[in-house]
Amino acid sequence: MAKTVIIKIKRQDSPKTQSRWEEFELTWKPGMNVISAMMEIAANPVTRSGKATTPIAYDSNCLEEVCGSCAMLINGRARMACSALVDKLEQPITLEPFSKFPVVRDLQVDRNVIFENLKRVKAWVPVDGTYDLGSGPRMSPKEQEETYPVSRCISCCCCMEACPQFNESTGFVGAATIAQVRLFNQHPTGAALKHERLQALMGDGGIQECGFAQNCVEVCPKDIPLTKAIADTGREVMKQAIKDFFRG
Amino acid sequence: MASDSSVTVAQGVPAIRAGQGRSFLLRRLHSLSGIVPVGAFLVEHFISNAFATNGPRAYAEQVKFLSSLPFVPVLEWVGIYLPLLYHALYGFYIWFRGESNVKDYPFAGNFMYAAQRWTGAIAFCYIAWHTYTMRFTGIHLLTHNDAAFSKVQMEFQHPWAIAFYMVGIIAASWHFGYGLFLFAAKWGITVSQRSRKAFGLVCTGITLVFITVGILTMSSFFKPQWKNTPEHLPGWQAEQSQNH
Repeated sequence: MAKTVIIKIKRQDSPKTQSRWEEFELTWKPGMNVISAMMEIAANPVTRSGKATTPIAYDSNCLEEVCGSCAMLINGRARMACSALVDKLEQPITLEPFSKFPVVRDLQVDRNVIFENLKRVKAWVPVDGTYDLGSGPRMSPKEQEETYPVSRCISCCCCMEACPQFNESTGFVGAATIAQVRLFNQHPTGAALKHERLQALMGDGGIQECGFAQNCVEVCPKDIPLTKAIADTGREVMKQAIKDFFRG
Repeated sequence: MASDSSVTVAQGVPAIRAGQGRSFLLRRLHSLSGIVPVGAFLVEHFISNAFATNGPRAYAEQVKFLSSLPFVPVLEWVGIYLPLLYHALYGFYIWFRGESNVKDYPFAGNFMYAAQRWTGAIAFCYIAWHTYTMRFTGIHLLTHNDAAFSKVQMEFQHPWAIAFYMVGIIAASWHFGYGLFLFAAKWGITVSQRSRKAFGLVCTGITLVFITVGILTMSSFFKPQWKNTPEHLPGWQAEQSQNH
């Protein structure tokens, strides 16, 4: 008998419907990953018990861990589906949508909160204007080396899903956004908005909600030094708070 | 299709409320209060009690010194009870709003996150009982300094009390040691991974020193030479009135 792969998927037809589990058995292929397995299911959407069903809905795009779309819970842990090799996973493989984001359908979730957070901390370089500002200040190779790893963030939200402090009662902003504050504050032109970013992080749900469980840095698919960014930004926010108090 | 109106639609986690609320101040105050004055008091308390290893008289001398400090009630309330109560109650508030997930993410840091909450709760229960029995009931040690050794010794007549002291000492030492680590990380003192690793070792060392000192202190109340220490040390009262 050919080697097979068992996959259990938590499915949900719409944001308002109850979720259910469906189990699939696929023929094993070399180099299979979770996305390719779901492509197989889409080609023949029949459950293990022989019942016809619909293809799985999921977000994906680049299939090489740079777009951040296909994040989901694989065997209970937040990670990217495209880089989750079937051979390295314990079977049956369970796939679930992120638990802290509203489900759109099946494994698709609404991750709007990270974009809203990035907007609220002004995670951009303010260079919009009506005339050419010329080239910006140079960054030394040392600075570049420090900021580049943080710039690799793909907004996949794994760090937020895995964080015990990221939930509806805290409304914690999450590691990714804090790291972006660090990135844009280190940028010579981006630093123009440094105070506003740090002040934003003092609001409810800000950096203070971090409990330093350090799950973020463990699950980050891009190996971003998130705990370092949090520690560093924590210091900057504290300095800003003291300055604001004493100097007004 | 299973369309069920009773299913609640998750709203999701709200975005940061930039510029709103006081939680930054309250949370940082919670963090700081764990170091000073609560942590500082813990250090003092362990050192003071370690005088018991030198016997009932040395122990009484240390209690006498603490009782002789100016404004003792102010020191107690402002330096210990109120900050401790704030640290504990706000700590419970933090705990109840977090969602521990050690089962799905069994990493060391995540385990320590959960342990920090449990050790805090255990230490709080212990401290509440310990303060009640030692400070607010029984013979008053601020006025009867020499009764300190025997009061603790009497407490240790119950095996459950001994066990509870052990658990309390371990929980408080753990909570304080890892609390130092968390403070340094969150306030941006140990920014690099390397510095956090080094300071983590230092904090582990501090925890172990506290536990060791605590156990050595406890054991001095069981030493045969100080067995059945009387409530009033012979000659203590006369000595005190002579010095005055």
